[in-house]
Amino acid sequence: MPEHWFWFLATAVCVGWYSTITIYVAIRGALDIKNMLRRLAGDSGEASE
Amino acid sequence: MTNFSWIDGSIVGLYIVATMIAGVAVRKYVGKVEHFLIAGREMNLYLGIASLAATEFGIVTCMYTSQNGYKNGFAGATPGILAMLAMFFVGYTGFCVKPLRDAGVITIPELFEVRYGPRIRWAAGVVIVLGGLLNMGVFLRTGGDFLVAVCGFDPKYLEITMTALLVFVAVYTVLGGMLSVLVTDFLQFVVMSGGLLAVTVLILVNIGWSDLVAAVQKHHGAGGFNPLIKPEMGWKYIADNALLSLAMVLTWQTTIQRLLAAKDTRTGQQVYTRTSVFFLCRWLIPVLWGIAALAILDPLEVGDNTLLAMPMMLSRITPVGLMGILVAAMLAADMSTDAAYMLTWSSVIYNDILAPFHKRQWSEKRGLIVSRSLVAIIGVFLLLYGLWYPLQGSLWDYLRVTGNIYLSSMSVLLVACCYWKRANSWGAAGAIVCGAVIPTAFLVMEQLPSTQHFAKVVVGPEYSNIATYIIATTAMVVGSLLKPQTKAVAAKGY
Repeated sequence: MPEHWFWFLATAVCVGWYSTITIYVAIRGALDIKNMLRRLAGDSGEASE
Repeated sequence: MTNFSWIDGSIVGLYIVATMIAGVAVRKYVGKVEHFLIAGREMNLYLGIASLAATEFGIVTCMYTSQNGYKNGFAGATPGILAMLAMFFVGYTGFCVKPLRDAGVITIPELFEVRYGPRIRWAAGVVIVLGGLLNMGVFLRTGGDFLVAVCGFDPKYLEITMTALLVFVAVYTVLGGMLSVLVTDFLQFVVMSGGLLAVTVLILVNIGWSDLVAAVQKHHGAGGFNPLIKPEMGWKYIADNALLSLAMVLTWQTTIQRLLAAKDTRTGQQVYTRTSVFFLCRWLIPVLWGIAALAILDPLEVGDNTLLAMPMMLSRITPVGLMGILVAAMLAADMSTDAAYMLTWSSVIYNDILAPFHKRQWSEKRGLIVSRSLVAIIGVFLLLYGLWYPLQGSLWDYLRVTGNIYLSSMSVLLVACCYWKRANSWGAAGAIVCGAVIPTAFLVMEQLPSTQHFAKVVVGPEYSNIATYIIATTAMVVGSLLKPQTKAVAAKGY
């Protein structure tokens, strides 16, 4: 284990977690946007009827 | 000397065009004020995570955190650990945020009206906007400073860079409100994260962990790894940042707006818990960049302006191509933050400060025109304030003090509103006044030559901030106990 293991571990966790979450959120977030806009479009349609 | 070339300029240009198109394209979905301010409460979990992460990381964040790394070593990331713990605790337990989201309000002051009355709602709106705008006032200049230093522009182009940044952001925020902010936040999260990770890997590979540790040891000794033994930090720094982190998680309007835009309370809490680690990343990654500057730059070269150490380091080590990605990433970070902040303060002005005028009776069309105008007016304020305000001392100290103008009183009001039945308007008024006066007085004293020494050396930002929380809490308790409570008010709750 390198010197100052706490900060080494914290850095490793940050880089690992951030890389994973970026890919995951990039995929799931795009789906969220699609669903949000679909619901809002439906909402506007109902309001105008 | 910088590595910014036409290839990098093309990457940045492409990114800006893509963001503008996405931001402007969603304006057609904005039909009501609720769509403009909170996206019709249609935000789902992953979009919420992307939006909150993008909003809470701007160039300004990168600048003050890397400055903390340069000045304090790894110990400079301590506020990030505290913010992560606060975020997880609040998200997991639902402390305050559950009753807040369940109440179905648009802003925190709206919740206060039920418990404390309309005057407190209005006063809360005023201090939130005052503290928020003073806080945000330095964002543009800091962003401009970073871009000028990294890209190697002539400093005379600083104002033009600031204005161009603001205009890009204002166009899509004025047109699409929260919907544009959410969609562009998502794009900005992806670009920003890619750039942050790429540069961090570059630093770890090129400089290496051992040299980073050695630089901290050489310049800061053991205190660079442990905040408790660093003379400038210690318990007072930790206590100040712990209070600030909890208050920020509970009442920072841009964070809360994501909770309130979530489709339900559970989603809002999940956004908090799952974004908590990001609050460590947003500190530790730029702190590493600041330490890298410490490792490769001569302190004489950096001089007193430690804020520019990190951009100077980046301009040296980042190769062509990656430089374009880095600048696009930082622009992404800055644009998402500026857009969200402009929108969030305009929402408080519209919803709370203007409440006595519109009394929820304005048409949706009129409400949208006013909301959009407010975003534009805030943009103009930011430009003017950013041009003339001379920043004294550490950027993080300035942001803590200005943020505390409302964070201290609003967090006390929120906790009391949710969990203390005897809390009332007298206590709330006392907390708001005390919470605003102390940090404002500190800021003024810091600027005046006759009181500068007393403010900076004798008191310091830490004790000023801790005192603000203690006095605001005391004012709430004493004020509430002094006012006789009627049975009707006691039974009402929020």
